[in-house]
Amino acid sequence: MTFVHAFQSEWLKRKRSFASVLILGGSLFTPAIVTMVRLTHYHGLPKVYAAAGFWPAMWRACWESMAVFFLPLCAILATSLITQIEFKSNAWKQVHTLPISAAVIFVSKLAVIVLMLIEFLLIFNAGIYLAGMIPHWLVPGVPRPHGEFWDLPLLRENALYFLAALPILAAQYLMALRSQNVLMPIGIGFLAWVGALALVSSRYAIWWPYSFTIIHYVKDKPKGAQFAAVTQLPWLALAFFLLLTIASYALFVTKPEKG
Amino acid sequence: MHCLETHDLHHRFATHDVLRGISMQVPAGSIYGFLGPNGAGKTTTLRLILGLLQKQQGEITIFGERFDRNRIAILRRIGSMIESPSLYDHLTAAENLRVLQLIHRCPERRIGEVLELVGLAHTGNKRAKQFSLGMRQRLAIGMALLHGPELIVLDEPTNGLDPEGIIEIRNLLWELNRRQGCTILVSSHLLSEIDRVATHVGVLGRGKLLFQGSIEELRRHRQEVRSVRISTSDNRAAVAALCDEGVNAQLEDDEIVIVPMSGERIAALNRRLVAQNVDVYEIRSVRNDLETIFLDLVRETA
Repeated sequence: MTFVHAFQSEWLKRKRSFASVLILGGSLFTPAIVTMVRLTHYHGLPKVYAAAGFWPAMWRACWESMAVFFLPLCAILATSLITQIEFKSNAWKQVHTLPISAAVIFVSKLAVIVLMLIEFLLIFNAGIYLAGMIPHWLVPGVPRPHGEFWDLPLLRENALYFLAALPILAAQYLMALRSQNVLMPIGIGFLAWVGALALVSSRYAIWWPYSFTIIHYVKDKPKGAQFAAVTQLPWLALAFFLLLTIASYALFVTKPEKG
Repeated sequence: MHCLETHDLHHRFATHDVLRGISMQVPAGSIYGFLGPNGAGKTTTLRLILGLLQKQQGEITIFGERFDRNRIAILRRIGSMIESPSLYDHLTAAENLRVLQLIHRCPERRIGEVLELVGLAHTGNKRAKQFSLGMRQRLAIGMALLHGPELIVLDEPTNGLDPEGIIEIRNLLWELNRRQGCTILVSSHLLSEIDRVATHVGVLGRGKLLFQGSIEELRRHRQEVRSVRISTSDNRAAVAALCDEGVNAQLEDDEIVIVPMSGERIAALNRRLVAQNVDVYEIRSVRNDLETIFLDLVRETA
């Protein structure tokens, strides 16, 4: 019960924060752009909507920018900003004088960030669905898309992207818990993401946690042929996540000065 | 019965000894003023008491139990505010309290009661970042007392407040202590504040507890005569006459200052001055004020 209450308390702290705005904006950005482009170039839409494989094509189109850009960057920013709320509010000293253990503090805060990632994916999925349906609802002559959105491997794909993003969360959490300056974790995270972009053409990218969402997107495409045989990515991501989380917790509880 | 006790508390930052054997006893039901100049070690002591710093040497007992062995159970009964207020600026006053209410699992109605008590019930949807310094300080105190703690630890709660704000906080502390029976440990470098609000006092200087006792004990020190000051028509002639009588007399601010002595001896000196044709305008005893006691105590360690 202590954890549930600590989690509710942490969840409340994210209210009206920039991180929660970022989750909403970041997840809806690509679907919104796709919708706007389709509404402005609506002449070819009847053909596109009648074609077989409408939803898989839509899914791939939306995920390209999401996997490469928005998901890793939103994970970097949201994790850093949520964790930094305590530094910004000068509130670590208050948190550490509450009648809860360090483990509960650590896990409840991390759980909020993980839930925000799930929220991000859910909103993004809803955004893809709406981006597909809005032209059909608004533009006369555009048929209902061929096939069903629900036939996509939604659960599997979202779960794999979720796992691929977890190491970024853990690495950012570790840095944001240590640094009083919000720019430090964000700056390092951004550089790590740039490093991931540079590394992704190499097979060594599978050892760089910031590249996992990109690898998961490109591995079925010609430009990601070097990752075609990589099947252990979710396990690798999980291992990185656990390793970084354990390291982060050890540093958190052994900090001699709290707040 | 002591609500809080520390025994031989030492703390060192790098090569600097910040605390050197602090043994303090805070009686249950008291308002304990923890007084000392800036850098004396007040905040370090309070942070150790609350577990914000890792204890290096000594013992801390709160409600009769060792803090390091019963941390969570003890923290359930403590409310605190250390240094500047810890507020979530993007949340309202009620939401800031709700963050803590969820953890303390106290009734939700306490949020409204506390807002009323600290005079912030009218703030509604206003976010904490729009609050004045006084409002922030009051909200932080409200957060400390939300769950009805038995011990409240406040570090410099009147810092940065205007006189009206200081009076408000003082009244609030009195009310909490008298009406709800809270023990309050309040630190300050403002002597006048501690003098007005505390029932007990501990004076800290350079990491050492220089005085500890009730405010009455401190006031007894205050009653002691520090010097006698004499004002006459001819101070130079008076000083010469007093020296002839074997009294160590000095001129200070157009007055003669002599050491304390009995009433009979002062009367005899007065007769001697009059006999020397010196008109005596005033003879008065100068008693210790709290500031003098405090400065003397602090200077002793310098």
